[in-house]
Parts: sequence; C-alpha cells; structure tokens
Amino acid sequence: MDHTPTDVAGSDLAEAPQGAVPSLTDAGLSTSRTASSGVGSMFDAVILLDEQDRVVRINPAAEELCELRPLASHGHRLDECGEGAVVRAVLGSFPMATPDRQGQRTIEVADLLGMGSRVLRLTLAPMRLPNGSSAGTKLTLRDVTSEHRADELRNRYLSIVAHELRTPLTGIKTFVTLLVKRALGPLSEPQGEVLGSVREQVLRLEHQIDKLVHLGTLDARDATTDVSQFELPAMVSMVVAAFQAIAMERRVAFDVDPTPGPLLVRADRAQIRRALGALVENAVKFSRDGGVVTLRTTPVEGGLVEISVCDQGIGIDPRYHARIFERFFQVEDPLTRHHGGSGLGLFFVRQIVESHGSVVSVDSEVGRGARFSFRLPIADTPESSRIAVAVDSMQTGIGRDRETDRGVRRGSD
Amino acid sequence: MERTVLIIEDEKLIIVSTQMVLEAAGFRVEAAVNGDEGVQKARSARPDLILLDIMMPGIDGWETLTRLKRDPETSGIPVIVFTAREHSRGHQKSTEMGAADYFRKPFEPDELIELVEKHIGQGV
Repeated sequence: MDHTPTDVAGSDLAEAPQGAVPSLTDAGLSTSRTASSGVGSMFDAVILLDEQDRVVRINPAAEELCELRPLASHGHRLDECGEGAVVRAVLGSFPMATPDRQGQRTIEVADLLGMGSRVLRLTLAPMRLPNGSSAGTKLTLRDVTSEHRADELRNRYLSIVAHELRTPLTGIKTFVTLLVKRALGPLSEPQGEVLGSVREQVLRLEHQIDKLVHLGTLDARDATTDVSQFELPAMVSMVVAAFQAIAMERRVAFDVDPTPGPLLVRADRAQIRRALGALVENAVKFSRDGGVVTLRTTPVEGGLVEISVCDQGIGIDPRYHARIFERFFQVEDPLTRHHGGSGLGLFFVRQIVESHGSVVSVDSEVGRGARFSFRLPIADTPESSRIAVAVDSMQTGIGRDRETDRGVRRGSD
Repeated sequence: MERTVLIIEDEKLIIVSTQMVLEAAGFRVEAAVNGDEGVQKARSARPDLILLDIMMPGIDGWETLTRLKRDPETSGIPVIVFTAREHSRGHQKSTEMGAADYFRKPFEPDELIELVEKHIGQGV
C-alpha cells in the first residue's frame, strides 16, 4: 500500500487496519502538525511507539489529547508520560510491549479536556522497517463522538423495527412449524409441501430481518460479543434450511457433513448464525445451476472447530481478493449486476469472526468456486488453554494474511 | 408428574403459539400478560419454569426478573429470557441477573423444548 503523508493522518488505517503497515520512515506526522487538537478536528492524534513502547514521535494533537507536555515524552514509555484519562484508557485497551499488536477499540472518556463525554476510536497498527523487521506500533486516536451518537440512535431504531417484525414472525413460525411437524393433526401430501415451503420462506424472512438489524448492531465498529454455549450442528442445519428454497430454485444442492455426536461451541450464537447465513447465502448465489454447496465442521488442533462453506461457483478474481471484506464492495457493477445484495455480507462476516478472535480464510480462483472458513473454540476446552489458543490462532491468521497479502480473499455479498 | 411453565409475555399471539408448542410436549402452561401479573402468578401457580419476555408495557422483563429473583418464594424458579429485540450482551446480562438462559424470537419449537427440558427441575 502506498503511504503518502495523508495516509498516516487520514483514514486508511482506520478503515483497513489489517492492510496498512506503515514504516517508520513515513513523513506522515508533518500533516498532523498543522492540527491544533485531535478533538473534533479532522486530524488524528498519532503516536509512534518503539518495540519497548517508548514514544518515538508524537504529534501536537496527541500531546494535547493525552495531556502530555510538548516534546517531554520522547523516549519515555507512554505510562511514564502522563496520567490523563486518555492515556489510562489507551493503556487499559491493549497489552503493552507486545509485537504485532493491531486492532481497534472504542474508548469513552467521561470528561475529555472539559468538553464533556467524548468517544474516541483507538487504532493500533504494527510498523515495519524497510527491511521488514518489526519497529513498534503506530497508535491513532480519532474523535468519533458524533458518529457514535448517530450509531446509537440508529441501533435503537433498528432494534425497535426488529422487534415489531419479529413478533408476528414468531407466531407465524411457531404455528407453521407445528403444522409441518403434524403436531396438530395429519396433512395431505400437497398440504405438507405447501406448508413446508411457507416455513422455508419464514426462515428466509427471519434471516433478512437479522441482516437488517445487523446493519446497526455491527456497524457500531467495536462489535461486542454475547458469548454462550450452543450446538453447532443444529445451527448449521437451521441456516441451511433457510436457504433450501432458494437453492432448489437454482438446482443447487447442500452437502452438510454428518458430524457424529454433539459439538458444543462457545461463541455469540446470533452473530455466528448471521455470519454463517451470509456465507451460505453467497455460496448459493454464486453457484452455477446444479452446483453443490458443502458445509463442514471439523475439529482441529487446539480445541477449535473449523467451519467451512465451499461452493463450486464462479469464484473470484485474485485482484479483488484484498477488497472483498470492505463495506459495500462488490465485484460487479451494482447497476448491471444480476446477483443482487448490498455489498455488506462479507463485511459483517469479517467483523463477526474477528470479534471472536478468529480470522476468515478464503481460497478462491475464477471459475473454481470459493472456500470460506473460520474457527471457533469448542466449549469443553478449559478456559485458560482456550484463550491461549484463540490468541495463537489470531496471530497465525494475521501472519498468513501478511504473507499472501491480497492473494487470499474473495469479495461479494 | 405434570410440569408447569409460566409464560410472561404481552403478545397474545406468542402466548398462544408458545403454549401450543409446550402443551404438545406435555407441559401445563400458565400465562401472564405483563410483569406485575407474572410476578403474582409465579407466587400463586408455583411454576417449574418461567419464560420471560423483555419488551413489555409497565414493568419490563429485566425489572420482572429482578423482582422474581429478589422474592424468596420465586427466586428458585428457573427463568428463561426470550426476546425479539437486540440487547447488548443480552445473554450475559440475563445470566448475571439470575436467569437460567436467554433465547431469541423467533425460535425453533424443538430448540425451545430442548431448552425447557434442560432447565426445568434445575431450580434451587
């Protein structure tokens, strides 16, 4: 990625923290020097830390925001530089002095520099020397208070809309399911068939409502997870059922692995269901007539299970692989496309999977289908080793991304 | 022995449909259409399990849950929260407040029965 000065002060890191790895030789701080404050201004507060987390460079916006004395902080660790609310929040957000830290957190500061409650977005990105060796961390702070407030309002609205839509749907789904299961008496064969497709359409509608709500709940940047234990195979079959009707129209068949016995995972049930739904929806959408969509849940090393969705469809040109998880990105022109969709599916999938400390892996070539996969912790793994494993797998995933950079990802909704 | 489930839910449609699912699985069902009535019925009917909606007029599900857990007469009855709305960390919040589980609407009838079977009789 090309790093112009505006890149560093601008938005590319905030939008794509995985792709951008700035080098220490960046002259990027000079742009930010013109900013008087990081708060409410269009410029970000930027701090460059070396591998021991000592301050290498700091722009005036960051000095002001962190309540540091000008130039006094160079060469000192961040925790030695000040005790302001922002410094405390930053220090509490990420493990310090750890190589290859990256990610985003939203920090709420109760009273920032006398301006009341403000919301800041903290982005961490590893820095590399031109020879590729690690050179510390770039830390960017941006005031996102107004976006945050707008997000809250929209989430509230969407949540109410969802409630209003789901309430009647719950009644319909329950009645139809009782009928389909013959719990209310026998049905003729055509009656059973008709009610079976009514049920599939209900599941499809449910998925669409989830997607709508998802626009709000995950768009708030730092997706929080609501972790519980649930049966993965049951969820897989429910997601598949929701797309059965669409798949049949396209003469696409599902091949779901019959994993013997229960497979209890620990994750955010609703979010994983949405992510899996988006992957299955894509797989069906991009399949050719008569294709097969394969779903597998495979226990792998480290107490994890790998969930994969594989299609035999049109595949994706490698030149789009780096961009497919971007919001609203679609391989084809939205005005001429015939696949439809919002361009948000994979954006959400990545957010969900990353909020679980995992990564989405993609394997695809044009004309040869695509395979998407991610990993989740199996529920009966002891707490400590599970966390270690999750962190380990995340780092492995990041490493893999970096090696192949734009070679592994596929785009679509 | 007949086991009783109390549904606290303001939507009649959901009460009726959920009741059919539970009765088909052999449970006896009591219903209350708001939190106040729910708390009273929990004391009088002594259900083996409570299904509790969150968005209700009057006292909402969270407040109802708090009252149920505060009252020694009802605190031992397992409560499953079921909701059609997105609640930030709803599952964690429910369990922290003493609920046995958390469930989203629309639900799969089979899953509901599975969950009820899992928690019923687990009361303290």
